[in-house]
Amino acid sequence: MTLVYYVNLAMNGLLQGLVIALVALAINLVFAVGRFPNAATGDYITVGGYAGIGLQALGVGSPVLQGLGAMLASMAVAIAGYLLVFRRLFGRSMVAALIASIGIAFFVRSVLSFFVGHDPYVFKIPITRAIVVGGVRLIPTDLWLGAAALVCLSIALALLFFTPLGRQMRAVADNPELARASGIRARRVMLTLWVLVGAVCGVAGIVLGIRTVVAPEMGWDVLLPGFAAAILGGVGSPAGAVLAGVVLGIAQEISTPFVGFTYKIALSFVVLMVVLVVRPQGLFGTLERVR
Amino acid sequence: MDAYLVAVGIILGIYMLMTLGLNLHFGFTGMINFGQVGFFAIGAYTSALLALAGAPMAVAFAGAVLAAALAALPLGLMALRLRIEYLAIATLGFSEIVRVVIVSEEWLTKGVQGLGGIPRLFASLGVGGNAELAYLGLIALANLAAVLIIRRIVASPFGRLIQAVRDDEEALRALGKDPAGYKVRVFMLGAAFAGLAGAFYAHYLTYITPEQFVPLVTFYVWMAMIMGGAGRIPGAVAGTLILVLFLEGSRFLRDFVPGVSEVEMASLRLAAVGLALILFTLYRPQGLFGGYSK
Amino acid sequence: MTGLEVFGLGKAFDGLRVVEDVSIAVAGDELAGLIGPNGAGKSTLFALITGFEDADEGEVRFFGELLNNLPPERRARKGLARTFQIPRPFSHLTVRQNLAVAAPDQSGEHLLAVFARPGKVRREEAAIARRVEEVLAFLELDRVAETPGRQLSGGQRKLLEIGRVLMTAPRFLLLDEPFAGVNPRLIEVIADKIRALNAEGIGCLVVEHNIQALARLVGRLFVMDWGRILAEGAPGEVLARPEVRDAYIGGG
Repeated sequence: MTLVYYVNLAMNGLLQGLVIALVALAINLVFAVGRFPNAATGDYITVGGYAGIGLQALGVGSPVLQGLGAMLASMAVAIAGYLLVFRRLFGRSMVAALIASIGIAFFVRSVLSFFVGHDPYVFKIPITRAIVVGGVRLIPTDLWLGAAALVCLSIALALLFFTPLGRQMRAVADNPELARASGIRARRVMLTLWVLVGAVCGVAGIVLGIRTVVAPEMGWDVLLPGFAAAILGGVGSPAGAVLAGVVLGIAQEISTPFVGFTYKIALSFVVLMVVLVVRPQGLFGTLERVR
Repeated sequence: MDAYLVAVGIILGIYMLMTLGLNLHFGFTGMINFGQVGFFAIGAYTSALLALAGAPMAVAFAGAVLAAALAALPLGLMALRLRIEYLAIATLGFSEIVRVVIVSEEWLTKGVQGLGGIPRLFASLGVGGNAELAYLGLIALANLAAVLIIRRIVASPFGRLIQAVRDDEEALRALGKDPAGYKVRVFMLGAAFAGLAGAFYAHYLTYITPEQFVPLVTFYVWMAMIMGGAGRIPGAVAGTLILVLFLEGSRFLRDFVPGVSEVEMASLRLAAVGLALILFTLYRPQGLFGGYSK
Repeated sequence: MTGLEVFGLGKAFDGLRVVEDVSIAVAGDELAGLIGPNGAGKSTLFALITGFEDADEGEVRFFGELLNNLPPERRARKGLARTFQIPRPFSHLTVRQNLAVAAPDQSGEHLLAVFARPGKVRREEAAIARRVEEVLAFLELDRVAETPGRQLSGGQRKLLEIGRVLMTAPRFLLLDEPFAGVNPRLIEVIADKIRALNAEGIGCLVVEHNIQALARLVGRLFVMDWGRILAEGAPGEVLARPEVRDAYIGGG
């Protein structure tokens, strides 16, 4: 097993990690601002994937447009979830929101699979030849997908840290009472939150869908790795979640020769458990949120 | 028709054990366990493998219960240190790890091919008919025992204390009581019920695959518990009844409504579970029997 | 007789020193009070004494015994009981159950004993039930004995808080704003109960915002401001001091 082999694995893992980073960011945002783990995150992603496929079926061939459609679809579902369900659970416990989010996850997934079936769909993308640089295989499609994910992550983080709305979101995340007292309007912040979450999930959906397939379980399958990354990064830190996602993705791929294909999937669960036992606040979070 | 009712009764009994166990975890002690299917799986595979290795049924069943309880120990210990939402994620991760291990360790579990030829109980009574009836009787007995045990526990100082843990852990600590040991014990006990359910399941179907132990099963049980009313024993019973009626009813529905394929039915079932979770959380979190809700 | 002693206690959150070099001594049968404007550090001091927060510096001693690093439940078992500012009844348990669960050393809390030693558990339950009746009568909560915690009124919750710590057979009580949000008549009732408990030899340190009510109740008063002890002494004397008046006009 040469270095080049591992570099290839790592490149593969990097793309996967960027997807996990998107999921982790979406989870982190709701965890921090909405204060509950949103189990429906995966299914927002699935909606995005299917929207892209839908557009393709309608003749829209451009992945960029498909991606935009994915983002819009995921945003719509995220906002609907807020307006119809989560908003009405305001003042109730986190448990209520968590269970409701499971319900939303199942409902969204079932609606999708009812109308389009359980069989996977594949994006028709031109087959590109890998560019080989010193033994390292770079597939152009993967590069574009990775770039898309990276751009989305950067824009999202920039929004969070450099815009007034983003600052308001972070203020609500840090201290909801204080935020309310300083006049930050909850409704506007929440809508921004879900729009952002939807956008991020939509991009994850299109990237994941193009890279692999679009199937009813596609989002749910990245949900746990996303949670693992969000927790590894630390609940209070969106950038931490992103970093942890990338690290997890790479680690998952690099571990394949050692643990085999099926256990590679288990790696995120193991990371999750280990982090929760050893350092529940993750790499960049604060302890008070966890214990 | 009788044979059908017996079969439904057996499934009911199996789910009820799982719901009773989960009710101990969440309804009475306030711990979110999203990994109940993991203990179910451990019980099923343990009992199946022991029986296939020639062990007597009693040993197989005991092994299932023990294995599930032991598997709950590390999770119970985690429950001590984690806030409930983190425990929820951890338990979900646990049940998925269990499934991944079952899939991977083919030498033991035959992986995705599944484990077949699991010995049945009451084999001397032949196939079907009386044997099934006897099986139903045994499961009913097991449920009765479970209900009696849980009732005894809930009425005891231990039961009072775990409900205090559920209601306000910090306040309990301020009174000089450490929730730790109690949470672990309850976790193991509730898992043991799920393990027993798994053993009954394995020896009923005689063929188990990892596909049967997916998180959806955990959430069926959650739905049952919530609909009936968490923290109420009659709630767990009634909720399971509703669940099984729903699962069986949806099968009948397919017979009456032509053009609905099996796959579409599965989606409708999933949609119903999702809606039930949403609607009950929004409008009737205490369930039918007015149980614990937040 | 030394009761509760705190030496040089300090705690910082994110670099902000919330409690700074606090030293207090309350005798084992004394009735003392602690006041201070909002943000003075009273709640944190309480948390440090009761073990809900770990001190950065200093010692907490209870009848001579060092309490640092002991978790809250261990400190409570030694007889250092506390109430919460916003009462925390066990919402789905009745008042009776709320009180019963607080009784210490119940063998029925061991799972095995529930099944293996039912007679012993029954006897202990009977003894606890008798004590519960006494506490119910003492606090005049008999009428709501079967009411679940979540249905109690604010005043009833306050009384239940006190009832629960009583069941733990405490040696010393830390009362966190027992008069807050309570109507004046009930304040007098609660004050009477506290006096009665103190008369039985249970020391008390009461944190309060209602200075008038507290001054009538306690024999000694501590004043906190900016994380430090500003003054201590007899209530009338302490409250007359200019620096104490300034502290309150500035904040609180």
